[in-house]
Amino acid sequence: MTDAVVAELTDVSRTYGGIAVLEGVSLAVRPGVTAVIGPNGSGKSTLLGILSGAVEPTDGRMRYVGPEAPRPIGYLPQRVPFREEFTARETLTFYTRLVAFDADGPEDRIGARGDAPDPEEALERVGLSDAGGKRVGALSGGMRRLLGIAQATVGDPPLVVLDEPASGLDPGMRERAFRTTADASGNGTAVVVSSHDLELVDEYADRVVVLDRGRVRAAGPRERLCSKHGVEDVSGLYRAVVAGDATETADGDEEEPTAVHVTGVSE
Amino acid sequence: MTGTPGETGGIERLRGHFLVVAAVFRRELATVLRTPGYGVLPVGLLALLGGVIAVGGGAATGFVPAVVDLLLVTEVVVPLVAFVLGYRALLVDAETGELAVIRTYPVAVAGYVAGVVLARVLAFLAVVVVPYAAIGGVVWATAAPDTTIFATHSGIDSPLLYVRFLGLLVPFGMAYLSLATAVSAVVSSRRAAVAVGVLAFVVAVLGSDLAILRALATGTAPSAIPGLLALTPNGAFRGLVFEGVIGVAFAPDGGFVDVGRAVGSLLVWTVSGVAVSTATLAYGDRLEVVIEAVRTRIVD
Repeated sequence: MTDAVVAELTDVSRTYGGIAVLEGVSLAVRPGVTAVIGPNGSGKSTLLGILSGAVEPTDGRMRYVGPEAPRPIGYLPQRVPFREEFTARETLTFYTRLVAFDADGPEDRIGARGDAPDPEEALERVGLSDAGGKRVGALSGGMRRLLGIAQATVGDPPLVVLDEPASGLDPGMRERAFRTTADASGNGTAVVVSSHDLELVDEYADRVVVLDRGRVRAAGPRERLCSKHGVEDVSGLYRAVVAGDATETADGDEEEPTAVHVTGVSE
Repeated sequence: MTGTPGETGGIERLRGHFLVVAAVFRRELATVLRTPGYGVLPVGLLALLGGVIAVGGGAATGFVPAVVDLLLVTEVVVPLVAFVLGYRALLVDAETGELAVIRTYPVAVAGYVAGVVLARVLAFLAVVVVPYAAIGGVVWATAAPDTTIFATHSGIDSPLLYVRFLGLLVPFGMAYLSLATAVSAVVSSRRAAVAVGVLAFVVAVLGSDLAILRALATGTAPSAIPGLLALTPNGAFRGLVFEGVIGVAFAPDGGFVDVGRAVGSLLVWTVSGVAVSTATLAYGDRLEVVIEAVRTRIVD
């Protein structure tokens, strides 16, 4: 698995109504599963929104530096947004059509793509083959999220951003959502996922980013971070870093937190 | 494949954009077809128009009298239907967050807007033109015998004049549909869409005529009225109906409106609505960031 950087955030800040929700965040996203953890309102959704291009930063910049692809970034927001009157199959068919033809690519790649995604394959990948004919409105919360994950990976984007794909699901579905997320990180794909389920993060994440009050408190390979903070798992890391109230940049420099904690803004 | 690589690439690129627009169009049209409320619109419209010509008596007289009966109602109902079909057209995806997902795909904003608007235009044609055509059929069946004469010259009533009227409904409705779509792009909630939509509807339908009356009251020369009338969608449509349908039968010299300006006006309103929608979706987030930057400086 290559370790080349896929996306970079440089001094990214975002304010809402003049209040900082994310401040001075610098990150390098690499292949594998990167989990973003932190308390409610710490800026996770805003960070993921900026990574996906859905949210414009008020300062700093996000740069995709991964391999050239018709769809560089796949995204699933926290609230699965599909139209309820469409079936799961119709939903994925619509999205596969959007990447079936590369109109804006370089001259030698314009035209119908030989590897145009198959909606059935996408449904099968997340275990929803039998539910393909069900309306989105009739799908359970877990199935919707799996459909969302399938959509986020349509066209094999090198960077997949999933905002709390396991939120509100029962333990079995949470495990399934995370397993599917981890599967999506094969072939050098970088998957950035936010979650409050620290056990699953511990099990599946290669790297961890701890956010608190809009700042990165710790970031790096999971095992290295745990060892550095003298804890056994991600739950311990969370307690040590967030309760410790020390700000650390991706490079390990200590900083005082300056962003205002606004619970719920980023949710 | 033939042609030079550059030409082939250009054609293929165009084809690619067309296929993306087609995908958005199909999805939007399917959404409209699956929305039960839209099915009620043509039935209600047919009942309303039937009632108007029954009360007015135009249907028994001929096509042009029927158009005279329908004109005032049309100036209110067509914009209303256009707003109903368009006021949430671009808001739905923005509100649910699906637009953020669609934006991660190789879809140009203009292509997305074109797909949505074209589907809504087709829905508009089905909802509006079909009931009006049905009313035309009623007139054909019930009016005096000379309405079956095909003619476009003055003094003779004809089904072709009614077909012209139907044809004028299309650019008139498209201007309002485009305006409604722009409203759906600018607002951020359903409630705001209703409020801004109602305001835009009232201003466009009534405000324009009141503005012309005010212009007359403040000394504008009556000779300038045909030109001024053409500037608003209602004025342009009304003028074109007088010029091309009603006036053909009764007043050969016309002069109700500046025809070129009226046609241009409806076109400009349509293009402007689509342009505002596209620009809002393309640059709205950046504008929000600029506003945030100003707000942050004020807070600091």
